[in-house]
Amino acid sequence: MTASIMVQGVTSGAGKSTLTSLICLYLRDQGFKVAPFKALNLSLNSYVTYDGKEIGIAQAFQAWAAGLEPEGCMNPVLLKPSGEGRMQMMINGRPFAEIDAHHHGPGQSIVIDAVRESYERLRRRFDFIVIEGSGSPVEINLEGRDIANMRTAVMARSPVLLVGDIDKGGVFAGLYGTYHLMSGPSQRMTKGFIINRFRGDGSSLGPGIEILEKKMSMPCLGVVPMFELRMPEEDSLGMRGRRPATSKAGDVRKVWIESLQGLLEASQPGLDLRRIQDIGLRGLD
Amino acid sequence: MDFHEKVSNEIRGGVRGTDQGCEHNPCHFHGQDCTFCFCPLYPCEDPELGSFFRGKDDKPVWSCQECYWTHRPDVATEMHRLLADRGGGYGAPIDRAGTKAALERKFSKRAKAIMVLGATSGAGKSFITAALCRVLSDRGFRVAPFKSQNMSLNSCVTQSGEEIARIQELQARAARAEPIAAMNPILLKPKGKAVSQVIVEGRPYRDMDVTQYYEGFVRNEAMGIVRRNYELLARTNDYVVIEGAGSPAEINISSYEIANMRTAEVADADCVLVVNIEWGGAFAYIFGTLLLLSEAERRRFKGIIINNMFGDAGCLSSGIDRVESELGIPVLGVMPHLEHSLPTEDSMFIASKRSSAAGKLVGVIRLPHISNFTDFDALTMEEAVSVLYITEPMELDLVDAIIIPGTKNTIHDLTWLERTHLASKIRELRGEVPILGVCGGYQMLGDQIMDVHGIEGGVCQQVEGLGLLRGITHFDAYDKRTKQVSGELLVGAGGKVRGYEIHMGRTEIAESRGLFRISSEGIPYEEGSISPDGMVMGTYLHGAFDLPAFRAFFVGLIKGRNGGTEGREHRTLDEVVEESLALSARVLLDNLDLSHLIPREQKGGR
Repeated sequence: MTASIMVQGVTSGAGKSTLTSLICLYLRDQGFKVAPFKALNLSLNSYVTYDGKEIGIAQAFQAWAAGLEPEGCMNPVLLKPSGEGRMQMMINGRPFAEIDAHHHGPGQSIVIDAVRESYERLRRRFDFIVIEGSGSPVEINLEGRDIANMRTAVMARSPVLLVGDIDKGGVFAGLYGTYHLMSGPSQRMTKGFIINRFRGDGSSLGPGIEILEKKMSMPCLGVVPMFELRMPEEDSLGMRGRRPATSKAGDVRKVWIESLQGLLEASQPGLDLRRIQDIGLRGLD
Repeated sequence: MDFHEKVSNEIRGGVRGTDQGCEHNPCHFHGQDCTFCFCPLYPCEDPELGSFFRGKDDKPVWSCQECYWTHRPDVATEMHRLLADRGGGYGAPIDRAGTKAALERKFSKRAKAIMVLGATSGAGKSFITAALCRVLSDRGFRVAPFKSQNMSLNSCVTQSGEEIARIQELQARAARAEPIAAMNPILLKPKGKAVSQVIVEGRPYRDMDVTQYYEGFVRNEAMGIVRRNYELLARTNDYVVIEGAGSPAEINISSYEIANMRTAEVADADCVLVVNIEWGGAFAYIFGTLLLLSEAERRRFKGIIINNMFGDAGCLSSGIDRVESELGIPVLGVMPHLEHSLPTEDSMFIASKRSSAAGKLVGVIRLPHISNFTDFDALTMEEAVSVLYITEPMELDLVDAIIIPGTKNTIHDLTWLERTHLASKIRELRGEVPILGVCGGYQMLGDQIMDVHGIEGGVCQQVEGLGLLRGITHFDAYDKRTKQVSGELLVGAGGKVRGYEIHMGRTEIAESRGLFRISSEGIPYEEGSISPDGMVMGTYLHGAFDLPAFRAFFVGLIKGRNGGTEGREHRTLDEVVEESLALSARVLLDNLDLSHLIPREQKGGR
């Protein structure tokens, strides 16, 4: 039986990719055969696998964190914006169709089938799959069309964690509002929340966390400190205001993974990875 | 002379404005109108403007000591017009009730407060606040912006030498009001190591760490300061547009929170929530923010603004419907993403601005305690100039000019420059590219910094500067120079400069040439300095690039990849900001339904 855990975010850039990478690294250290998965990725930064499949760069990074060579099935659907609302849709790592601003594209069933098949392929080969969601799971205007969050969780029968970025401010509102807008079954699949990018000492969050734990009937699984993680940028959002990449001697992938190990250490006191592992192993009731 | 005669003389004397020569000025508020030192409406017996007290013989006496209404320039001018125009000459009896009623139709006795709160930082509060100020001012109202507590390293100096956040100064400009300290009575300037310099009512008050600030200052003093400064604005305006701070739903610190719902309560404000949709999750933030507030707090919200929408807003209708039906608060509209030239609020949003792909690249060192980086907004107005914020030495190879900006902690950041090897790289590039130091950056360019009293870092120290300009900076006392100045450029083609100084410490200059001649204070003096070869220069002047002269000089020094071209943008930053403010008001009106929030009409009678 393959275990799984899914990381969903309150916003884009909340820290889903980072958390997913971190959990992959941790589970690998615990001796699991672990693989990352993201059903649908919207990104201009892609990576090409050994067999010529194009996937989101973040999934490649997560694969390295899991000690694997990246594969096409880790990110079956990739949307690459080509300007003026147009996007190239890649399915299973190959160009499939051009879609326009109104998302008129191939039927959803094709996309859903691709997601299911890819996930199935991973599930047969690994003990633990760490799934990353996409954007916010409660975009009211996308309702029914969002396949990358709760529909993926249901398909994979995966418990869900919700992560919010405190650096923007309003993280309690973001977490609670996301929970509030979820359907009853989705709320019950969500097993905990995580606060990311915290500057300062955890004690000042105490009262806020307690209120949320009560209101959302789930535990806070951790507070991750602000950390200058060197990893390939996935969202176009994070690019702005970031310093340009500088070339350092040596393999940049090594630098990335070392940086992730640094974050794993820095997160240890505040983030309950053991409990996250147990939630994944227990699965949904 | 009896009261009636005094009033007649006042009317005969015409509108006087502020009586600068009066020993009591300002007896009510800075910028007050002194036409009616004796109010023609006395005793109006209006409980909104004054109260009775028991006089010597126990008779009730009307006191309007705390009434500022008559001293509003617009009220005084109008009252003078009404009274001068009345029939029967100066000695004729005054229709007090009629005059007062006519004034009340035009001027609020107490400002109405509108408060703009954000679901997150960077939601667009500052911008919406500025746009609302401009819309109300366009409709003829007297408006003031207010933010009770601001944490920002971008500050500027008012005419009377008070320091307020730059963003409130901008909002004052939007409101067409003179910026005063009351608009931002508490300003926190982070100095590092969790210590901030606390500025109260425009003057340095004390340095405090987090505990001192929250457990001492916030608990005991802050709300009193907020109340009395808001009160001043409320009594002298038709509208006060208040900006909140961060999110109002930070439930971990609600008892320490003063800048959001507690300020709203003081001002009895109608509140608007702004949410930035760019990051996604906007509806979650709307619900979460409002549901985490108490019922009474939630009732203050009269509208929600979705901000920064890329693309078509039509797709949001199902979400908007759910917000309105479940929360009972209308969504006033969706603001499109807008490119504007208004200064940025937070260092969080420092972006490297590139105005064009080719051209000249100015590298601004991204110091750990960088402050007043809005200084460089004006540079990006130049067609061929881009600004890149630099943190690594090799990035300096890319740039055609180097600027070391201001900092809240000169010595700490200088040490950082050395440690990161940026300092040695800057020394290497000396003579090849122009190097400018502003304020703290200027202090760093010199030979030495002496802090014998430990004013900067708490310990007595003497550190070597970059040694690129001859001069020594002394931190002698816990004293701060905050002054608006103007003058002219002493090098190149000359021309006007204008700016403001905000700094502790003073620099003894040993270079032979100064950069500017400052002439705004009685005795003209030289400010800043420039090296003999003209390639290294420093100044204390913030905003030196705002007018075209110094900008053109500096840009002209750049050899760049396209050869030396002159600065071509001849507009001043003021003109560009003015255009952006007009644009912001227009976009606000085009996209939002403000009819429940502010009067639809032009203010009566104007």
